[in-house]
Amino acid sequence: MPARINVEKLSVEMCEKLLRDLERGKRPVLEATKCSLDNSLYNPKVGYLTPGDKKVQTELNVSSVKKMSRTIFVLELILRNIESGANNTKREVYYIAKGEIKHNPTLKPLDFEDQNESDEIIDFICEMMECYREDLNCFANDRGGQTYSGQLIVEETMPDGDKAVIDLSKLGTAPFQPKNRPQSLKLKARKKIDFCLIVESEGTANTLVSSGFTKRNNVILLGAQGVPSNAVRGWTKLIQEELAIPIYFFGDLDAYTLQNIFRTLKAGSAASLIRNQDFSAPDVKFLGVLPEDIKKYDLPDYAVKENDATESRALKKARDALENDPFFQDKKNKGLSDILKWLLKNKRRCEQQSFFSVNPRDPLMPEKIILDKIKNKNFV
Amino acid sequence: MAKASAAITSSSSAEYFSKNLQQVGFSSYTKAALTTIKEAVDNSLDACEDADILPEISVTVQRLGEGSGKGADHIRVCVEDNGPGLLPEDVVKVFGEYLASSKFGRGRCSRGQQGIGISAATTWAQLTHARGALVITKTTKMRQAIKCQVEVDIKNNRGILKEKESYDWDRPSGVSCDFLIDARIQMQGEGGLLAYLNGVTLVNPHLTLHYKILDEDWVHIERIENTVPKIPEPTEPHPHTMKLGEFIAHSHLFGKTRVSAWLKTGFSRISDGILKELKEHGVKSSLLERAVSSLSQEEFKFIFMGIQKLKLMAPSTKSVLSIGEAGLAKSIQRIGAVDFFAVMSRKPTICDFKPVLVEVAIARMKDKGSEEESIALLRFANRVPLQFDKAGCAMTKAVVSVNWKAYGLAQPKNSLPLGPYIMAVSVVSPFIKFKNASKETVDASDELVEELRRALIQAGQRLSKHIRREVKEADLEKKRQHIELFAPILVDGACRISKAGKGRREKALEGLAKILGREAHLAEKELTEAIEHSEAALEKLAQVTGVLPAVQEEPEEQVEVGEQMSLDGIEEKKSKKEKRKGK
Repeated sequence: MPARINVEKLSVEMCEKLLRDLERGKRPVLEATKCSLDNSLYNPKVGYLTPGDKKVQTELNVSSVKKMSRTIFVLELILRNIESGANNTKREVYYIAKGEIKHNPTLKPLDFEDQNESDEIIDFICEMMECYREDLNCFANDRGGQTYSGQLIVEETMPDGDKAVIDLSKLGTAPFQPKNRPQSLKLKARKKIDFCLIVESEGTANTLVSSGFTKRNNVILLGAQGVPSNAVRGWTKLIQEELAIPIYFFGDLDAYTLQNIFRTLKAGSAASLIRNQDFSAPDVKFLGVLPEDIKKYDLPDYAVKENDATESRALKKARDALENDPFFQDKKNKGLSDILKWLLKNKRRCEQQSFFSVNPRDPLMPEKIILDKIKNKNFV
Repeated sequence: MAKASAAITSSSSAEYFSKNLQQVGFSSYTKAALTTIKEAVDNSLDACEDADILPEISVTVQRLGEGSGKGADHIRVCVEDNGPGLLPEDVVKVFGEYLASSKFGRGRCSRGQQGIGISAATTWAQLTHARGALVITKTTKMRQAIKCQVEVDIKNNRGILKEKESYDWDRPSGVSCDFLIDARIQMQGEGGLLAYLNGVTLVNPHLTLHYKILDEDWVHIERIENTVPKIPEPTEPHPHTMKLGEFIAHSHLFGKTRVSAWLKTGFSRISDGILKELKEHGVKSSLLERAVSSLSQEEFKFIFMGIQKLKLMAPSTKSVLSIGEAGLAKSIQRIGAVDFFAVMSRKPTICDFKPVLVEVAIARMKDKGSEEESIALLRFANRVPLQFDKAGCAMTKAVVSVNWKAYGLAQPKNSLPLGPYIMAVSVVSPFIKFKNASKETVDASDELVEELRRALIQAGQRLSKHIRREVKEADLEKKRQHIELFAPILVDGACRISKAGKGRREKALEGLAKILGREAHLAEKELTEAIEHSEAALEKLAQVTGVLPAVQEEPEEQVEVGEQMSLDGIEEKKSKKEKRKGK
């Protein structure tokens, strides 16, 4: 983990420069990393998307004076939080800003219509300082990542220096919920762990646990709950770094899962270019559902509804990804782009729960298939 | 054969009109007052123009009490002019006889055409107050004026002269007519008296008008043009304006004249060159050398169709009268305080076989209407305001069909545009196709609507120059306000974070004002350019029309205001604010 960025110092420097420019009658420019696909680089040796040289420059003029004023205003609120050690979610920051504006009528022109507007400013500050939102004491909801294991022990260092040790085997049926700040966690295994399985559906992860998956196998099992949150991404990265065990992702066979969920988990996203380093696990493998599994296990698949807006958008995105996404374009990920091509060609999809149809009377069938696939290296 | 049930009788035209006064503008009490005034004023204006006199007309409307009919007032309408006056024998005909007119079918662009209107007013007075029109008239040749009462002998369509007496009148010539009628006075609205009087002054720049209506004060509107418009004499008919039957009928006047001579002298726009072209189109020289009277129906048709295929010059401008862009430009300022305006006078053209001239004036008013209301549409046919049945009129249809959004006006779908504008549309033609006898609506033929549309679009383009300038001004003002709003917030925040002192704060604010002021300067430059552009356009217009519209003077003022508001203004305001804060 890199040394924590000194937001206070960067802020003062930025404001100093701004004032200096103004005093000289020069237009100040705020520069931020451009976080978009066209500024994303992918080096298979690095394993995640990294930012290119493109910067977004905001020069002070009539149309940007509002954004700049808002940036300075939000930055002041955040600095206050950092100083006092208070943490907030983006939504809370939005309301704190609203409250400040309410009590100070001169700030009225800055007022935010909705949370999107204040989020945009927070993201802008992150991109400008190349820092994580957590560095601004601004946290997202710790969604997803519920983890089950009979072998894993987590040691947490709290902000006040106290330490807590969590033995996941002692939690009963309750999962361990990773936090947004994996920096403060250390992992240990009480026994050799064979692999880590990330299941797209939280429900299916739960089913596997209740049927004894974690008892029979030396594994870490976690539910992704859709598109992985920062907590899930940081947590997976931590598992990869500290335990060096194989990690498999088990999810639906469709364009959305492959691009939005799996790619984000493995290589990060274009929107979070500056944090992919600590929030992606390049070693994670796609276990399935693979196109060949449909035939092999006679899984019930179905056609993509092209008149459905969400699904047709996912297909269009897949097409774009093959053309523009450096991750899918790299030959190291040919296996994955082949799946995308297969999806575009066949316009069919298959859900992970279809494994339950293979032998409806055997509740352990999905587990058997998963283990079988891992054993036979049947993954991408 | 069936047995005849009732004897067939013929009745006089007076009988017909007296029973159908609604057809000629007397369908309600409010319309009765308006129509009476309108017919009298139209006659006065026509008479003055014929006699080359600059018209000065005064209109008085008084309420004398309750009317004889239910819901009506007893109204006295008096219209006086300084025209040539009428001889006593003509007074009876003009006021007391239907279809007695000096203008019927002449092919001139006079206001009155058939000779129905004023006789109908007399009939109305007679029907509602048992007394006809009280007329005073004097020509320059008469030593004393004559005062008399004229009534319509409805059975025989004859005028009756009563109580004729000589009268001392303090003017060289003129006519005064006085009607006691049942009516109601409506001042405001599209069908109101004010709309009529404003309309008349708009399209008659050479008119001086005085009016006093009910208890209101006298209003005096001075003429702004000192020449009487030359009412063009009718020209020889244009062959493209005729139908075959008319063409043949026209030949009867020429007897044994050679066909080529008949075509050349009996029609306008046919020359030797055209005859040559006609021959190229297959009309034999021998045919053109024959006597007109010897031609057969078929030969007439052959020649007629040949001429229709040729491209002739448009009918002479001389036969249609134009108010002119200069006249409109001056006149529009008499209606009220005008912000800016655009006028457009089209060249005469042919619509539906008749020469037509379309003119448009659009003015943005300072004190009338609002952004949310529809524009006020004034329609004119031969310089007479049309006030009723707007929806069916060719002019309304043309206005609605134009996409005004392109010129900066708001416009709901299929409606008139919105805004504090007056849009005056005038059609002048020796033969206007009215939809009804009371001349309220012009028939919306495709050709006429298209011609109107073109005029409106051109006027719209001229207008949009002004509107664009306004938008630019608003833009600049917005930018300034925007800067003033955020500058202190930005600088104060940056100062607090970097813990900068008061001195740096002031310096930064100054710098910021400079930076953003530069931008404001840029916007100002754009504005100045826009103003210059529209000034050049106005100047060009002025050269054409010989008028410098009032809007010419305004840009200078606006630039001044702009400069006061500019950079220095912002800085001053800011330092004042700071001082206040400092205290």
